[in-house]
Amino acid sequence: MKILIVEEQPALNRSMVDYLSSQQYVCESVGTFRDAQEKIDLYQYDCIVLDIMLPDGNGLQLLQHLKQANKLDGVIIISARDELDDKITGLKLGADDYLTKPFHLSELSVRIAAIIRRKSLQGSNLLHYNEITIDIQAKTVTIKDKDITLTRKEYDLLVYFIVNKNRVLSKNAIAEHLWGDAMDMADNYDFIYAHIKNLRKKLLAAGSDDYLQSIYGMGYKFSTH
Amino acid sequence: MKLYVKYNRVNILAAVLIFIVGSCSFYFLLQYILVHQLDDTLKTEETEIKQYRNEHHAMPEITPTRHQVTTFTPVTDSFPAIYRTVKLSGHNDMYRQVQFGMEAAGKYYLVTVSRPLEETEDLLQVIILLTIIMIACILLVGYIINRVVLSGLWKPFYKTLDTLSTYELSLQHVLNFTPTGINEFDLLNENVQRMTERVQADYQSLKEFTAHAAHEMQTPLAIMRSKLDVLMQQDAILKHEGASISDLESAISRLSKLNQSLLLLTKVENRQFVLNEQVDMEALLKSKVSELLDIIEAKHLSVNIVVEPMTIRFHRHLADIILNNLLSNAIRYNREGGTIDISMQNNALIVSNTSSLPMLDRVRLFQKFYRHADVSEDGSGLGLSIIRQICDMAGYVIRYDFKDARHIFTILFK
Repeated sequence: MKILIVEEQPALNRSMVDYLSSQQYVCESVGTFRDAQEKIDLYQYDCIVLDIMLPDGNGLQLLQHLKQANKLDGVIIISARDELDDKITGLKLGADDYLTKPFHLSELSVRIAAIIRRKSLQGSNLLHYNEITIDIQAKTVTIKDKDITLTRKEYDLLVYFIVNKNRVLSKNAIAEHLWGDAMDMADNYDFIYAHIKNLRKKLLAAGSDDYLQSIYGMGYKFSTH
Repeated sequence: MKLYVKYNRVNILAAVLIFIVGSCSFYFLLQYILVHQLDDTLKTEETEIKQYRNEHHAMPEITPTRHQVTTFTPVTDSFPAIYRTVKLSGHNDMYRQVQFGMEAAGKYYLVTVSRPLEETEDLLQVIILLTIIMIACILLVGYIINRVVLSGLWKPFYKTLDTLSTYELSLQHVLNFTPTGINEFDLLNENVQRMTERVQADYQSLKEFTAHAAHEMQTPLAIMRSKLDVLMQQDAILKHEGASISDLESAISRLSKLNQSLLLLTKVENRQFVLNEQVDMEALLKSKVSELLDIIEAKHLSVNIVVEPMTIRFHRHLADIILNNLLSNAIRYNREGGTIDISMQNNALIVSNTSSLPMLDRVRLFQKFYRHADVSEDGSGLGLSIIRQICDMAGYVIRYDFKDARHIFTILFK
């Protein structure tokens, strides 16, 4: 899976490359409009992470460029501007998603995964993790070929964990993923715990291994020991 | 009061005053002249009588006419002539008379010659009547002309007013006035146009500033957050510095939310939202409550909702923010196991909740960064300011009450 990261800030650019590279993505990164245009013209990417404000141009023009060239690359816009207008324009121009800075890398990762799944020509809607299989289209989860029933939040959590497997996910990141950033409940994440506890119970009951670990009280990690 | 009404009032008052003073002076002057003329006639009469006496050494025969009454009364002494206006017995009218003493054939007489003032007064009456009619005509015609002409003259002014009243800064309208041909109005229009252009430019640069500020603040925050996400993956660091990383993360999160809130507040204050959406408040409220259900349950709160269908002309994003902030507060400052009552009826949204906090300061409550002394720094301190600003902009009213140990927030959508 090839990803192009277009971000002016080297530090942020590197973080994204670090995080995504460790998830079996092949990342290329550029910091200017011109370099991005060159890359886009030469190669095909599964997903492009696109910052709108670039030193030598507007990222939205790159979107138009893609459209005119009939390119099918998935695009997720990352912008510091939480302007509704920008968001609408971006999506109208063919972007697949829009993420406002600052975001969690785990959130970026789960959104990229969703875009790639939607765009993938192979039509693979299945997400595997050992004995766990998720059918993204049907929104069903099976463990060792046995269906299990999850609530909407538990299902979202499981997809989020599996896409970000082997990563430590902070409670803050999990809360923002599940409830959006309108959820302004600061340091009180007790309500996350209930969902995680239930999910874990259901997975174990269906015969799955125990993959969910609490990490030093600050977050969770989904991995084999 | 309309300008021309005020102008007319002053104008007519002044005109009436001048006409009254003028008419009075005219009356007295005219009367003075007429009486003076009469006195001249009487003087001639006196001269004639004296001439007759000098020639004939006797008093003349009296032939009374309608216009003149002459009497001779014998007296003992001579005295000088007096002119006066009198009322003669047996006559209704006033008379002007001259009395003088004279000596004829060794006898002294008091001669009185009187002429009626009737004609003079008739003349005066006619003149005064004419004057009054003339004044009335002048006033009436002046008033009508003022009304018609003035309202016609002021038309460009009202057109400018109309244009200004529909002017919306956030819509970036360009004002175009057609030349009126009247210097004052053209000058006004020109200045208004120049002013709006200037304001528009300022507004634009403010908007750009807001966007730039967002960029400048959000990008470093994004770097901090992403670095933290990467750092967090290293077990050795997490093991020793887990608490620090956790603290850093929540600080970044708070800063990011604070930044977003400030930007939103600025945008609302700058009237950057156009309220032209029909928002189904009932549906929005229900989805907001279900969104918050997890936290509500985590705090063991019970929620009572009474809601009627309500659609208002508003902005969806802003409506969402109002509901989110109100309900978040009702949850955050609630006590464990407390209650929240939500009612949306008759264009009013009422959210009331139990809390361990006493009554809040009604004035300071809506100020930026106001927190009650018993509250730890939890929320951004901007939630209610944002609601207040949105309400002010949309023309809604927000009210705070404290009753039966419940904090009650009411929003009246007009």
